[in-house]
Amino acid sequence: MRRREARLRTPSGRRLGLRDRVSIAFGLLALALSALLSLIAWGVVSQYLVGERQSAALAQADLHRSLLATGIVQRKESVALLLNGLPTNGATGATAVVGGRWYATSPRVQPATLPNELIAEAIAGETATQRIRLEGGLYLAVGIPLAQSDDAFFEVFPMDETEETLRTLSWVLSGTAAATTVLGAAFGRVASGISLRPLNELNAAAAAVAGGQLDARLPTGDDPDLTPLALSFNRTVGELQHRVMADARFAVDVGHELRTPLTTMLNSMQVIKNREDRLPPELREPLELLESDLERFRALVVDLLEISRHDAGEQLVLAPAAIGRLVRLAADTAAGRPVTTIDESARHVTLSVDKRRLERAIVNLVNNAETHGGGCTGVTVRMEDHHVAIEVDDKGPGVPAERRALVFDRFARGSGTTSGGVGLGLAIARRHIAAHGGTVRAEECPGGGARFVISLPLARP
Amino acid sequence: MWGVTRQLLLVEDDSRVRRVLRMALEDEGFHVTEAADGSQCLSAMREHSPDVVLLDVMLPDRDGFSVCREIRKDSDVPVIMVTARTDSHDVVAGLEAGADDYVTKPLVSKELAARIRALLRRAEPSLEQHRKRLGFGDLSIGLDDGVVLRGDEELALTRTEFRLLAELAMADGGICSREHLLDRVWGYGYFGDSRIVDVHIRRLRVKVERDPANPRHVVTARGLGYRLVG
Repeated sequence: MRRREARLRTPSGRRLGLRDRVSIAFGLLALALSALLSLIAWGVVSQYLVGERQSAALAQADLHRSLLATGIVQRKESVALLLNGLPTNGATGATAVVGGRWYATSPRVQPATLPNELIAEAIAGETATQRIRLEGGLYLAVGIPLAQSDDAFFEVFPMDETEETLRTLSWVLSGTAAATTVLGAAFGRVASGISLRPLNELNAAAAAVAGGQLDARLPTGDDPDLTPLALSFNRTVGELQHRVMADARFAVDVGHELRTPLTTMLNSMQVIKNREDRLPPELREPLELLESDLERFRALVVDLLEISRHDAGEQLVLAPAAIGRLVRLAADTAAGRPVTTIDESARHVTLSVDKRRLERAIVNLVNNAETHGGGCTGVTVRMEDHHVAIEVDDKGPGVPAERRALVFDRFARGSGTTSGGVGLGLAIARRHIAAHGGTVRAEECPGGGARFVISLPLARP
Repeated sequence: MWGVTRQLLLVEDDSRVRRVLRMALEDEGFHVTEAADGSQCLSAMREHSPDVVLLDVMLPDRDGFSVCREIRKDSDVPVIMVTARTDSHDVVAGLEAGADDYVTKPLVSKELAARIRALLRRAEPSLEQHRKRLGFGDLSIGLDDGVVLRGDEELALTRTEFRLLAELAMADGGICSREHLLDRVWGYGYFGDSRIVDVHIRRLRVKVERDPANPRHVVTARGLGYRLVG
């Protein structure tokens, strides 16, 4: 397996994909099959063509031989004249040995051009054929014994035509083999694409789950090969969803259990504060500490409930809202002063939103700018193509680039700051924005400081 | 600040929370009667006729929604529901059972007192409103006496429903946004839950409209709010 892996890599060293490997395998298989079939076809056809040519040549040579033999016996004519008088009929030339003397019709066909074995066989009384090369061309030499022993007739026939036909055939067969290889590879690609489609669906579903969409499931269908995979994936995700929900519900339950004692504590504190003037002075400071930490505790429980309620699957309450106005009311109220600028492009934009959650996200970002960013310097609402951008600027030290993704994590703390608390505010903001199909990110503000940008799509996915 | 001490009925099963809320709310100037469950609540309603009820949803004998419906059968007293969760089910169920407002724990007495005072406020006609009785078609709304007539028939509205209707009436056909209504009727800033308005509008339509499914008086201005037409 390791060896295969090492072999199937791209030139750049990357492992080849499954589809590439399947395509290559199909291509190689098609090449092997088509090469084998081509070789067989070529062999059969060439044998047939050569055989045809050979028997035609033999028949002609035999006819010429009998003409020559008859001439020699009946008319006692000169062998040279008889040879020259033979019809050519496509033969290149003829030669004969009669009584130990050689006669030839053409300078191209001389005894020297004939192979010795052919001459020997013919003289020995055997009809023989042999393919020869003559001035670069392929020829068929035929040797037939004459009546007298040691006498023989030889004729040479061109095989150009046969050779040309065979060459064309080999081109056609090679081309066919190449085309079959390409078709095989293409078929492999298409077939693997079809068989990988369920894997792509699996991939999409897994990505959706990883992206937090825990109710994503695969269609189980009735394919006996795929149903077990889909079922086991769905079961795994189901268990995962169950655990995540159980964790979220646990956090919700913890939050709820904390609410009742917290109510007692907060109101007891209020009753004590109402009588502060009657307290001994040395109790004022511990009371102050107790009060401020009680307030932090309250904020933490409220935030914990807010974030875990969302995880536990609480639905959005959507209603159309004029987005600029919503942002202005939320941001200005949170900052306690007018901070919002609504760009002309966003003045009449209405979105379907969960008002409470969107307000909460904006308030959390403005509060973050107020407490950790040295004060909010402005909130801007504007349209960008297909989404609304809401920018919250501050004049603090900014967020270092490497921390920009981390600040939205639960309980992330500002770098180097010990003040100000448990960071659920930005995590809640991100949840609420993500629930609207939007994003929120930290950037650098052009004038220094941090800029948090909410991006809300006009049409929800 | 108050002419008379307001009677508050506190319905809560946790005795510690009940004790501390009684102390804290008494500091805010209320006279507090305690009830530990639904049946104590209903008998206290008959004995003390409180000015406002603070009603926890989770009670040992029966749930707060049914207690609220029971109260609504013969009283228009403002009821504030203490819900466990702010998710749709509890809030909307509480409001539909007839609650005027809701709060969630942890409750802080100062905020709670502000909510209660907002509910006990009277409708305040603006200065240019000279007429004491406003007419919208067959509806006639008495700003002074709190009497709402449809034709000759007197409609039984709760205090909050009346104030919502009066607020719409005083806009004189103009659109009232949810935020405006939350601020004027319930005393919320701009972070109130607009579902409070929506459920009250539904309840108001059931009482005011002849066909609540096709409202002719309390009309929705989509995405903007509501308005009252004749």
